[in-house]
Amino acid sequence: MAAIELEGLTKRYGDVVAVDGLDLTVEEGEIFGFLGPNGAGKSTTIDILLDFTRPTGGTASVLGHDAQSEGLAVRQRTGVLPDAYHVYDRLSGRRHVEFAIEMKGVDDDPDALLERVRVADAADRPAGGYSKGMRQRLVLAMALAGDPDLLVLDEPSTGLDPNGAREMREIIREENARGTTVFFSSHIMEQVEAVCDRVAIIDRGRLVAVDTIDGLRDATETGETLYVYVTALDEGVLERVRGLDGVGRAAIDEGRLRVTVDGVSKFAVLHAIDEIAPVQDFSVVESSLEDLFVRYTTEKQEVEA
Amino acid sequence: MSWFAVAKKDFRDAVQSRALWALVTVFVVLSIVSTYAYVEAPALLGSTTAATFGGLLLFTVGLVGLFVPLAAIVVCYKSLAGERELGSIKLLLSLPTTRRRVFVGKVVGRAAVLAFGLGVGLLVGLGVGAALLGDLDAAAALLFVLITLAFAAVYATIVVGISAATGSTSRATTLALGFFVVFELLWDVIPMGILYVLEGFTIPSTMPDWLYPLLQLSPSSAYLSTVVALLPDLADASGTEPTQAGAGVEVAADAAEPFYASPEIGVLVLLAWVLVSLVIGLVLFDGTDL
Repeated sequence: MAAIELEGLTKRYGDVVAVDGLDLTVEEGEIFGFLGPNGAGKSTTIDILLDFTRPTGGTASVLGHDAQSEGLAVRQRTGVLPDAYHVYDRLSGRRHVEFAIEMKGVDDDPDALLERVRVADAADRPAGGYSKGMRQRLVLAMALAGDPDLLVLDEPSTGLDPNGAREMREIIREENARGTTVFFSSHIMEQVEAVCDRVAIIDRGRLVAVDTIDGLRDATETGETLYVYVTALDEGVLERVRGLDGVGRAAIDEGRLRVTVDGVSKFAVLHAIDEIAPVQDFSVVESSLEDLFVRYTTEKQEVEA
Repeated sequence: MSWFAVAKKDFRDAVQSRALWALVTVFVVLSIVSTYAYVEAPALLGSTTAATFGGLLLFTVGLVGLFVPLAAIVVCYKSLAGERELGSIKLLLSLPTTRRRVFVGKVVGRAAVLAFGLGVGLLVGLGVGAALLGDLDAAAALLFVLITLAFAAVYATIVVGISAATGSTSRATTLALGFFVVFELLWDVIPMGILYVLEGFTIPSTMPDWLYPLLQLSPSSAYLSTVVALLPDLADASGTEPTQAGAGVEVAADAAEPFYASPEIGVLVLLAWVLVSLVIGLVLFDGTDL
């Protein structure tokens, strides 16, 4: 059984389409990254999973239950770190966790949970005085209460310093090792790359890619980029370089040639360029998934525009 | 029972708020001052009818009828709209509960907050009154307090229902104050206005049958009628000119009137308000995108 299954999920606000016919399956036991720029429809999708928002088309099922008609059953087994939430300013951190434990009808130790997310020191202070990072940890503790089968984390690293983001990833891995499926959204590839088994990239309400991290890397032609300094560089040279076998894209970038290599060895390309214009120096940059993400979410826009 | 957990959290949250204690203080002070005024005023004005405990209860009805609607607005207008505006509702509804349970929990929690503040004020006020008068009808006082707390719960339901209708606290404030103005301040005038128009822009010499039940739609009028209906001795004992009781007492004296014209209709009106607020609030809250 899939942990999350979306079929043709659509959400319109008047003329604006926030989510546009999304089909997505998240298997049990995965760490799944849901990636997209701000406003791509990530939070809307998560809001539908949790029944904060009702879809205008399609279906969403979570742990085998329909998100709309069986929301209670979904939330009984799901721990959530929502987006744009607010804590109860006057209640202490411990009261928050106690409340989550009571609502879930479990008998976890609130102090142990607070210890795990490292806000035990501030347990008795009103949560209204917490920093953004501490609130994020506190709500994570609420999500972890009752050992959920699924964790839904909307932008979990928001407000966390690098150390906090690393601890968040460790907790995600620990939970996953205990069999918990983790579904989390982010607009930062780096965070997703470090921990996810699979990734979906969403842009303007549409799914643009679903794959493993390695799969995404392989699927892209921007695997490697060569920066080449030649003795004489002009448009004529560029045109001829573009015509070479195995050159994906070529451009002049700060007085050097920027060439993506596609399907042939870098050496062969360098050699061919050397025959057009003598090569003085070169460097190789392996494209990061960040570049890939930027390409998926910006180039397609340019094409469509 | 997640609605109970919600109610408990809400109450706990409110107890830590300065607004609740300000409310309790205001009502205690108001209650002592007005009780003192009620007890001492007749003598000062040279009135022949002495103040009685029963009269004090009816006098308190007027005070409660104004204080409870305003207090309910203060305590309840943000209950759901505020959580939606801030986003804490997401924290709440991420937990295994339903919107219906959250709504019911809010009603119970806020009603408890209001009843607590009101209860303290009433006990102090009536206690001072009883001491000054040297007179106490414990059974009547108890029944009166219970009716009054129930009235507070009705108002809490109405205002939580209003709060459930919107995700903006400013709109919730507008709606709640609008309700107060229409049903509490202007309600005596509106049915009369309708009557005036229907009768061809004249005020008839005899009032039609439908006027009284229509006037009772105002929750605080219904509350007064309920007190009169359940404590009939009070109206009789308080003399010919009860301070606050208007139409309700006159009708109570005439048992031959049809049911809709008797004060018992107040009980029905209050129940109807609870039902209507619950249904409208739930339908709107359940159907919306947060």
